[in-house]
Amino acid sequence: MTRETLDVDVLIVGGGPAGLSAALRLAQLQKEHGGPDGSPLQVAVLEKAREGGAHQLSGAVLDPSTLRELIPDFQAKGAPLAAEVTDDHVYLLTEKSKLRFPIVPPPLRNHGNYIVSLNRLTKWLTEQVEAAGVDIFSGFAGQDVLMEGRRVIGVRTGDRGIDRHGTPKAAFEPGVDIHAKVTIFCDGVRGNLTKELLRRLELGRGRQPQQFAIGLKELWEVPPDRLAPGSVIHTLGYPLRHEEFGGAFIYAMAAGQLSVGFVAGLDYRDPLFDPHVAFNRFKLHPFVASLLSGGQMIRYGAKALPEGGWNTIPKTYMDGGVIAGDAAGFLNSMRLKGIHLAMRTGMLAAETTFDAIRAGDTSEAALAAYQRRIDASPVRDELYPVRSVHQAFGRGLIPGLLLSGVALMSKGALLDDLSGHAGHDQMKTLAWYYGIDKSAAATHATTTADRKLTFDKVTNVHYSGTVHDEDQPSHLLVHTEVCSTICGPEYGHPCTRFCPANVYEIQHDAAGVPRLQINASNCVHCKTCDIMDPYQVITWVPPEGGGGPQYNGM
Amino acid sequence: MKIAVCIKQVPTREWQPRLTDDKTWIREQDASWEMNEPDAYALEEALRLREKHGGEVVVCSVGPSRVQQVIREALARGADRALHVEDNGLANADAFLVADALAPAMAEERFDLVLTGLQSDDQGHAQMGVVLAERLDIPHSTIIMDVEIIGESGQGGRVRVKRELEGGWFQWITMPLPALLTIQSGINQLRYATLKGIMAAKKKEIRKVAVPAGLRPSQQILSLALPTKAKQTQMITGSAGEAARELVRRLREEARVL
Amino acid sequence: MILVVAEQRDGRLNRATWETIAAAQSLSGSLPITIVVPGASVAGVAEELAGAGVAEVLAAEHPALAQYTPDGWTQALQAIVEQRSPTFVLLPHTYQTRDFAPKLAARLRTPLITDVIAINGSGAHATFARPMFQGKLVADVRPQGDGPFFVSIQVGAYRADAVQKSGTAPVSKVDLVIDESAIRQRPEAPFQEARHAVDLGQAERIVAVGRGIKGQEHLPLAEKLAKAMGAELAASRPICDSGWLPMERQIGSSGQTVAPKLYVALGISGAIQHLVGMKGSRTIVAINKDAEAPIFEVADYGIVGDLFELTPAIVAELEKT
Repeated sequence: MTRETLDVDVLIVGGGPAGLSAALRLAQLQKEHGGPDGSPLQVAVLEKAREGGAHQLSGAVLDPSTLRELIPDFQAKGAPLAAEVTDDHVYLLTEKSKLRFPIVPPPLRNHGNYIVSLNRLTKWLTEQVEAAGVDIFSGFAGQDVLMEGRRVIGVRTGDRGIDRHGTPKAAFEPGVDIHAKVTIFCDGVRGNLTKELLRRLELGRGRQPQQFAIGLKELWEVPPDRLAPGSVIHTLGYPLRHEEFGGAFIYAMAAGQLSVGFVAGLDYRDPLFDPHVAFNRFKLHPFVASLLSGGQMIRYGAKALPEGGWNTIPKTYMDGGVIAGDAAGFLNSMRLKGIHLAMRTGMLAAETTFDAIRAGDTSEAALAAYQRRIDASPVRDELYPVRSVHQAFGRGLIPGLLLSGVALMSKGALLDDLSGHAGHDQMKTLAWYYGIDKSAAATHATTTADRKLTFDKVTNVHYSGTVHDEDQPSHLLVHTEVCSTICGPEYGHPCTRFCPANVYEIQHDAAGVPRLQINASNCVHCKTCDIMDPYQVITWVPPEGGGGPQYNGM
Repeated sequence: MKIAVCIKQVPTREWQPRLTDDKTWIREQDASWEMNEPDAYALEEALRLREKHGGEVVVCSVGPSRVQQVIREALARGADRALHVEDNGLANADAFLVADALAPAMAEERFDLVLTGLQSDDQGHAQMGVVLAERLDIPHSTIIMDVEIIGESGQGGRVRVKRELEGGWFQWITMPLPALLTIQSGINQLRYATLKGIMAAKKKEIRKVAVPAGLRPSQQILSLALPTKAKQTQMITGSAGEAARELVRRLREEARVL
Repeated sequence: MILVVAEQRDGRLNRATWETIAAAQSLSGSLPITIVVPGASVAGVAEELAGAGVAEVLAAEHPALAQYTPDGWTQALQAIVEQRSPTFVLLPHTYQTRDFAPKLAARLRTPLITDVIAINGSGAHATFARPMFQGKLVADVRPQGDGPFFVSIQVGAYRADAVQKSGTAPVSKVDLVIDESAIRQRPEAPFQEARHAVDLGQAERIVAVGRGIKGQEHLPLAEKLAKAMGAELAASRPICDSGWLPMERQIGSSGQTVAPKLYVALGISGAIQHLVGMKGSRTIVAINKDAEAPIFEVADYGIVGDLFELTPAIVAELEKT
């Protein structure tokens, strides 16, 4: 089988805010300075979704500082910013009531920020990049990193047209080897290519383990007078317990349109914890229910978030490559913001790449300038002071809040570098958590959804617009021996709980032996399974390009 | 052989219906778009015929500027160039209007073969191709599963096609070229657009054509609505035997489906 | 006058013609109904239609119409429509109608409204309901211009036995002039092909099984019911995912969308992914243990009970007569 090759100067993997900002910045630099020896830089962007923005999901409240720098006339160009933030509230929820924080903690103050749909913003950014003449290849997934020794020479895209048994179909197209002088990896939270780089080049050495959370979100249409557009609500407490990190948000995007979401740290100890169940409990809280009742859920989605902060960001540069955005973990978990950081690191990656190619040196030493740029930029100013906040929450809600306060007031000076643990290591066994008796009684707890405020996972997935070609191999690679043997007694098959899309189900055969059934086409590409499975036997790889959710308006 | 393929951009199959306030059309802002599925099979058939007989494949489409998405996709899959009758007002045009918008520009091109999908996934009139054939004054056949060119592949040749009839019946029909065929879904395997194809598509010609003057719609949508279930669910109770008896009776006498 | 175009092949009348007459009767108001039967030798069919409670039956016979072609049919009917000036022309929405009616309407420069499921009102100001967006929406449509307005009626939307039969209408032959050289299609004889693939889309009745069937070993129970009903066997997604039935039998958003006359859902909960594939079915029967199962929301008839008891009982009932 002959594989096509394509040679470009810069390959950007991922058409999200980081990748698109990198692409646009490169186009801008080209215009200002011209390409190396006068010829234009060949830039290509790979995006696994069928169209720009389809896989993009976030709350979101956008800090517009980076957007202002990248596209000063963003308003005139019609950037889709849903509403300017008018109102900020933080509540501590108990099961039946709520306590309002008298002062909104400074990191959660959003004056001057905008509530946005990341899907719509990304779509708009995609149009800007295309107008600037950059090739965006939608529907192409980056499958493997191409390397020569320790140098990244490009990316191989996924094969297309293979049936569920692994046999090529009539329309089979092998993946393409794209060779680039520099590859900018913007493949998102727990990106499969960045994961490969971390392993092959030990980029995490000397850094703290990466930490993650899962975010679930729904878009709701409600009577227009429920919440004024621009209202931002954050909650802590119920339904999470003190040992669990997370919280929820409700943003009023427009009159009668609410963005409702729930975030849970992927380092919980209770193996029977189900983030979707917690999300449903949140919606049934009297306060939340009063905002949603009578309304209609029109979209659902889920995605992991990189929560670990500055000390967990791996080495971000190597021979022939750099990493930007969520893939490296550039997210401020205190402010719950990452889009502006993804955009800025994308821009810095572009600037470094442009200089390196012009100078004819794309080695690790040359690309180290990327990290220096980050260190000198608002990215470090913002992330360094709060570098241990997430780790502090790992010790409980109160320590977390206290330490955050200290971090804020001392601008990070008075804070030691707290150590963290990889989340999947935190999950306890049934025996440890529930006592020996319970371990035998681990059954899949189902909640009855009322189909008005709460929905079962399968119904929710329908509203994520997720479609995959059914006739392809499963893109969740699982060593299933543990499923049939130790996982049930030890953890009670937690994959059936932490997956927000009902991808994993346990069926029992005639002899009562559990067998894992993978409903791969439900997958919303959130990466939670790859992150949280206690045995680390699940590897997420991209399905055939074009497949996945359709997060319109999310 | 000069082959035309008429393609339409329609909302994706997963799209949840949202209506405009006056309920006469859908709210387009919330929709994602794709190439009408039968048209994709028509395009694939055209590309295969070109591979076999040489010539060019020209995609023709009508609608607002967003329609360029499917035109580019067709070019990326291998079509040679495109005609776009661009007009925002044609977003909800009926089949007659679409055919009348295309006919003058297409008549000028003097295609040997015109392929369309058998119907569109949005309004689903299943008329456009046949009306277009009448306007172009060329013979046609519909719901085609197989296409053979006999003799010359240009004007003066013939085409032999397998037409689908109901209930598992089929029929072969021969017609002189030029001719128009409406293509059934699923008759071939759709090829992917390759990276090189996508890049090459950017350089291919999309000729913008003005809407002919004096076009009028043939029908008007007064309102759109979600289908309502006319009947209430009738629950049947009793023992297994009793319920079975009652169900069969109702299916036979009330619903008359047995 | 309302003109109904009958469809026949080799002297056998397509049943959908009766449905079209029923539609015409509901549309007519005070307009009389004429039926036209195109073909080469249609006397028998014309006699059959004479009892349909209509004003007259026209036998549009010509040797050139021995085999159906769109060019031939268009020529024949164009002449008749121009002579008789009906207000409406009604046809059944069959593959044959789809093949020629748009050409005829286009030639006469008059609207054709296809796939109509209901007629609102009667007489010249009637409006027509038709599905759009693959059945997700229903449109109420009005033809524009002066007419005659062509309308094709969805097969099964009207009931053939709803025709009000009365009297015997006069049957007359129409003198047709057909230019055979202008008929460009050369059709060969129709043939049937062995079905290698399951085509649930064509099935009139479907019995579908879901998780409630519990195991592959219980499928024969559902097969028996399907056989007794003259139905095809289908399944919800989990059954196909488990490999108990092939993917071709799957109904739902990742399988096929069907709208048969009868859909029996055995042990199917009614997750939305399944409902979108079958809720357009004319009559839906749901059998499920769980009274709260969403399937009951779309069912016409529902039984809350054990399918392992009910299914054999239903089979027994069906086999009685």
